[in-house]
Amino acid sequence: MTPTIELDGLEVQLGGRTILHGLTGVLKSRAIGLLGPNGAGKSTLINTLLGFHVPSKGSVRVLGLDSHTSGKALRSLVGYMPENDAFISKMSGVRFVRYMAEISGLPSEQAMERAHEAFVYVGLGEARYRPVGTYSLGMKQLAKLAQAIAHGPKVLILDEPTNGMDPPARKRLIELIREIREASDICLLLSSHLLRDVEETCDEVLILRNGQIASICNLVEERRANRKFLELETIGAEATFTSALEGLGCECAVFTSGRIKVVMPDSVEIREVFKVAADRGVQIRRMNHRRDSLEDIFLNAMEQTGVADGRL
Amino acid sequence: MAVYKRRYNSYTGSLTPTWSRFFVLTRFAFADLFKSRFFVLLLILCIIPCLFSAGYIFVANNKTLQLLMQLRSVDFFKVENQYFIVILMGQAWAAFFLNCWVGPVLISGDLTNGALPLFLSRPFSRADYVLGKLAVLGLLLSAITWIPCLLLFGLQSGLAHNGWIWSHLWMVVPIVLCSAIWILTLSLLSLAVSAWVKLRIVATGVIFITFFIPAGLGEMFNHIMGTYWGALLNFSNMFQIIVERGFRDPYTLLDRMSRNEIPIPAAWASLIFVCLLSLVILNARLRARETVRG
Repeated sequence: MTPTIELDGLEVQLGGRTILHGLTGVLKSRAIGLLGPNGAGKSTLINTLLGFHVPSKGSVRVLGLDSHTSGKALRSLVGYMPENDAFISKMSGVRFVRYMAEISGLPSEQAMERAHEAFVYVGLGEARYRPVGTYSLGMKQLAKLAQAIAHGPKVLILDEPTNGMDPPARKRLIELIREIREASDICLLLSSHLLRDVEETCDEVLILRNGQIASICNLVEERRANRKFLELETIGAEATFTSALEGLGCECAVFTSGRIKVVMPDSVEIREVFKVAADRGVQIRRMNHRRDSLEDIFLNAMEQTGVADGRL
Repeated sequence: MAVYKRRYNSYTGSLTPTWSRFFVLTRFAFADLFKSRFFVLLLILCIIPCLFSAGYIFVANNKTLQLLMQLRSVDFFKVENQYFIVILMGQAWAAFFLNCWVGPVLISGDLTNGALPLFLSRPFSRADYVLGKLAVLGLLLSAITWIPCLLLFGLQSGLAHNGWIWSHLWMVVPIVLCSAIWILTLSLLSLAVSAWVKLRIVATGVIFITFFIPAGLGEMFNHIMGTYWGALLNFSNMFQIIVERGFRDPYTLLDRMSRNEIPIPAAWASLIFVCLLSLVILNARLRARETVRG
């Protein structure tokens, strides 16, 4: 299977400064998140994928197509939702989307049909005949998404899609992105500094820091391998309780004042912990249950020094 | 992605040929232009002189009508190269004014709200983009310059006898060539201005300035330095030189002293320089992303 994105020593210089420093890595998932603090090089990487910037060294391929040498072929597969304002203010929403679809190669009638469908799909059906310039910020984001999907791309590139949206609108947009991902064989590249957006929509994450790869992390595998933690505060026979838990396959660390940290294998459910506690006459006064979140992964990647080897 | 299903489906239908997609820009621009009544009025005003010219040709070839109108001067109704010079120059100025109205909004509308990356993130190059916008002005200005001139030529050929067409067929070349360089100069210049200046009124002003200020500076240069090369900055005069020489006119219509010594290759070079400069500006401005140096 062709990897979604292949980075091969990619270096990009802009205005005499090196922005991306020899990125190397392979991303195979269908939904890839691009994370990093401001100025990490996320947008530069997207612009390079789209052929807006020419690599000074190395190359980047999307679905096997080189961004520089096969730029036109690559862009024929892409739907792009830019981070900043991108619209023609005097055009009605549906005409704007139709215009973009026709430039992507759809015949006029199909472009019109798909423009209407895309507008209704993103939830702007009622506003489709209004000039785009009169839309609110959230509506403009949705209009940008509509133009990105109207021509039915194979790769959808979303640059900070939830920027400036209120929580309900953000939730709706994230749902839409998930729906699009699940309803077709489309590949998704989502750049965001909001970890939750990426966590909710992506299977794999590329974390950038100062133009270098801080981490490439497969969220699906990470979630599967990710161990559950229980933080307990107990009163009672700690020693027999922990040895019973260890008998179930848990790892336990006992601290002062009856605090116990339990690392649970996937096969053990929390109710079994309660059962062991009840059998041993141990009172559980407080329980905190958590997994490693993307936030932990991101913070770990940010704390690392130097260039990561591509894995956490 | 059917509306009633409200779910996303990829597109599996046919696609238009890649080479023809630049014309989408042209089509949409024309649709926008023809919504403006002022534009339609301006276009009609630009075509009206051609209708009068057609009437002139009709009268010139109709002796009965001349007698009825008691017009006896044979020289007045002469349809020769000078007649076409006058028509072409008149239409060239009409093209200039139409271009000043249409040109400034063609690119600025896309740049104002950052729509350019949306065009360029598709299988659509910057050259396609410029070609699409250039075609708008090219078609529009053609409709009021060489096309009506050729129609008038055809009308005269049909009404005149004695092999007029064969003895004047060479005029087709200057009609098309002179119009082509003028249309290209005007179109590229106004696209470059449109890519640089976002406000229509300012952009229109800049186009006027580009034509008239250098001409004035050129005249000043001529007077101070006692030379004639300053006329190279007078682009409309350079076009007139090209037209007059193209139509083999020995008697220039305007002042000969200031322009006669400018060789015709220099006049061509002057207009080609404007075209190249405009292309350089377009190349600098039409970028999907701006790069901040430093």
